[in-house]
Amino acid sequence: MDWTALGLSLRLGLVTVVLLLPLSFLLARWLAFGRFRGRGLVEALVALPLILPPTVVGFYLLVAFGRSSPVGAAFESLFGEPLVFSFEGLVLASLLVNLPFAVQPMQNALAAIPPNVRDAARCCGLSPLQAVRHVELPLALPGIATGAVLTFAHTLGEFGVVLMVGGSIPGETRTISIAIYDRVQAFDEPAAGAMALLLLVIAVVALGITNTLARRAGRRD
Amino acid sequence: MTAKAGLQVRLRRAAPFALDVAFEAPAGSITALFGPSGSGKTTVLRAIAGLQPMDDARISCGDGTWTDTAAGLTIPPHRRPVGFVFQDYALFPHLTVCEQLALSLGHRPAAERPARIDALLELVQLQELGERRPAALSGGQQQRAALARALARDPAVLLLDEPFAAVDWALRESLRRELVRLQRALSLTVVLVTHDFEDVAKLASHLVVIEHGAVTAHGPVEALTARNAVPGVSGWREPAVALDACIEAHESERQLTVITAGDLRLEVPTIAAPVGAPVRIQLAAREVILASRRPEGLSLHNVVEAEVVAIEPASHPALRLVHLRVGETRVLSLVTADAERKLGLAPRQPVLALIKAVAVEAFA
Amino acid sequence: MVLLVTATLLAAQVALAQHGVPASTAAPLVAAASDLQFALDEIVRRFQGDTGIAPRITYGSSGNFARQIEQGAPFELFLSADESYVLRLAERRLTRGPGSLYAIGRLVLFVPHGSPLQPDPQLKHLAARLASGDAGRLAIANPEHAPYGRAAEQALRSLGLWEAARPKLLYGENVAQAAQFASSGNADGGIVAYSLALAPALRERGTFALLPEELHAPLRQRMVLLERASPAAARLYDYLRSPASREILRQHGFVLPEN
Repeated sequence: MDWTALGLSLRLGLVTVVLLLPLSFLLARWLAFGRFRGRGLVEALVALPLILPPTVVGFYLLVAFGRSSPVGAAFESLFGEPLVFSFEGLVLASLLVNLPFAVQPMQNALAAIPPNVRDAARCCGLSPLQAVRHVELPLALPGIATGAVLTFAHTLGEFGVVLMVGGSIPGETRTISIAIYDRVQAFDEPAAGAMALLLLVIAVVALGITNTLARRAGRRD
Repeated sequence: MTAKAGLQVRLRRAAPFALDVAFEAPAGSITALFGPSGSGKTTVLRAIAGLQPMDDARISCGDGTWTDTAAGLTIPPHRRPVGFVFQDYALFPHLTVCEQLALSLGHRPAAERPARIDALLELVQLQELGERRPAALSGGQQQRAALARALARDPAVLLLDEPFAAVDWALRESLRRELVRLQRALSLTVVLVTHDFEDVAKLASHLVVIEHGAVTAHGPVEALTARNAVPGVSGWREPAVALDACIEAHESERQLTVITAGDLRLEVPTIAAPVGAPVRIQLAAREVILASRRPEGLSLHNVVEAEVVAIEPASHPALRLVHLRVGETRVLSLVTADAERKLGLAPRQPVLALIKAVAVEAFA
Repeated sequence: MVLLVTATLLAAQVALAQHGVPASTAAPLVAAASDLQFALDEIVRRFQGDTGIAPRITYGSSGNFARQIEQGAPFELFLSADESYVLRLAERRLTRGPGSLYAIGRLVLFVPHGSPLQPDPQLKHLAARLASGDAGRLAIANPEHAPYGRAAEQALRSLGLWEAARPKLLYGENVAQAAQFASSGNADGGIVAYSLALAPALRERGTFALLPEELHAPLRQRMVLLERASPAAARLYDYLRSPASREILRQHGFVLPEN
């Protein structure tokens, strides 16, 4: 059991969730309630990571954030380290790759709020911000929680993108899924098996939580 | 804090469907926006609340202007003193009744809110149900909760969108009474959207008829019904006048109540309301018999001296609709053409109107 | 409940993660060709015992590492299985000098127990099975970026077996993965590094035949310190050139270059 890799994966998962949740809530809200022409296009872009093979995503991320790219060069001049092959690079990749997992459940939950209820909030004297706090957030909470759980579980299992963008550096970018791959190549099946089993358990627990949340959301109506 | 101010509305919009509407809702009265489904009534109501943007609009209440597109002014809904009761109530599913009211009381100091919540619950008679969530309330209770939530805003104008559409007929009457009671108690200015003329006849004092996004009639309910001039209704509804009356006296041994509607005095079966209470009556034209001399030996209670104002053709070629005047009060009578000939009916002719006590529909 | 789960996870990761170890000082970052899997592990264990420094090693294919280093991967020491990668990096001024040759690699044909394929240095049995159409899968490292894969291709071509063998080939991302495929029982066998075949993990799973050096271009394995190498990495580099380390390499099947 590679505890460093496990810790790294957990940290990556948590950081991704913490950063992605507010961003994706805003995006989900915009998609759920906004009436603008490019909406279908934005939804398709958000869903893209679901369909693209991880290696394709990894490839384009390397192109976009590698040393010679504007973003990569800027990062390196600011922090002295390249963006790729660093934990920060993984976080960035993780945020992009997990976008659909976070946005879609939230968007669905928000869209399920009857428009009259939102109008009623305004007519009750609630400013848009207050309406989000008192009405939208509570009603969309199961969707938000689902988004968080799915993002976390998916980040733990993410392999292709992490490998291409991260480089399997121990303590920095060698997540638990890559550690499994690494142990197999080193003919250390027991270690690989133990870590694989742990990830399996986490995935099952994540599924259980999202199912419970979905049922609770259904019961509320 | 209820401003006794009238509402002035002028709206124009091109898309998605054309809308060109202007009317006034007098202060302290119930104004009905009446018309067929899809005519734009709900859009107008939402625009008054600030929920619907318009191409060209001016909405003001008393001294305050809420929308003036020419001046680039649009006050957002949460800063307008309006209460809105949605057709499906739109209660917050995750909050108890008390919590919903508390949210609506944001404009009041926190210390005042609990007392205000209790007062509102009492007003709509939901005292025992404050801790319930909407799912645990019946349809009528939800409606009253929505009403309380709208009233919590201390609104200058109360807006209701087809408030009785989702309710069965038995509940409808009691909810109508409740609305009238509240409106009188608080002197509210109410704008009510409905496609049911019963709501107009029983509740509204003013009527704005909206068809295909335009106002086709506008004025007091009494006057419009007396002229049988309500578009969208005259075609299929039996001609009838809706009058505001008042209880003059009760004759308990005879089990009758005397009511006066302007210059018209009628005896009707006992109405369960105190002397002096307002009553809304509907009198169908077909229930008014005309006579040239006073009859005897009839069960009739009301023999009223009237004068013919005009005679016009009715829906059936053999029928005539006779407009009568009792002092300043207008009444309609539906008779056959033969009767018109028999009695020699003509404008300015005095005639007796015979009205069965039972025929007077009273709503108190 | 959600709060509890989050709190637990936060505590766990704080406890487990080696947070932000600065790139160099304590744990130099090493990129090593996968054929060094077992040999380097042993050398590094001794190094750690002697100096207290604990290098972090990533194994993979030399070609991949070269590409990553060009893209700014923060490795400090690179042990390539093919010196051309090192020389190319030196040309681009990404290294400290041209480095040094640390070993010559050898190829074997590895065959797991129970495989119908018999290992022999001239691959005669393989040739026969290919000709008769009975041959199963054969694993090699990917010739595109793995030196041992390229050498395997050269060996097959030298024996005139490349065209026949091609449809049967399984490509590992690096030579260790190729060895893993070869030993898993899903292939007849594989052409992999001698150093891997000698390792206990593989040795008990099958047998092998050492392929003559003449069959392929020499696997000149060169190592080099990279630009950002720390003093600790430099110490490891020197340690790798010590007689003790060379002896370990020799025991693991590497041919030592003249010094």
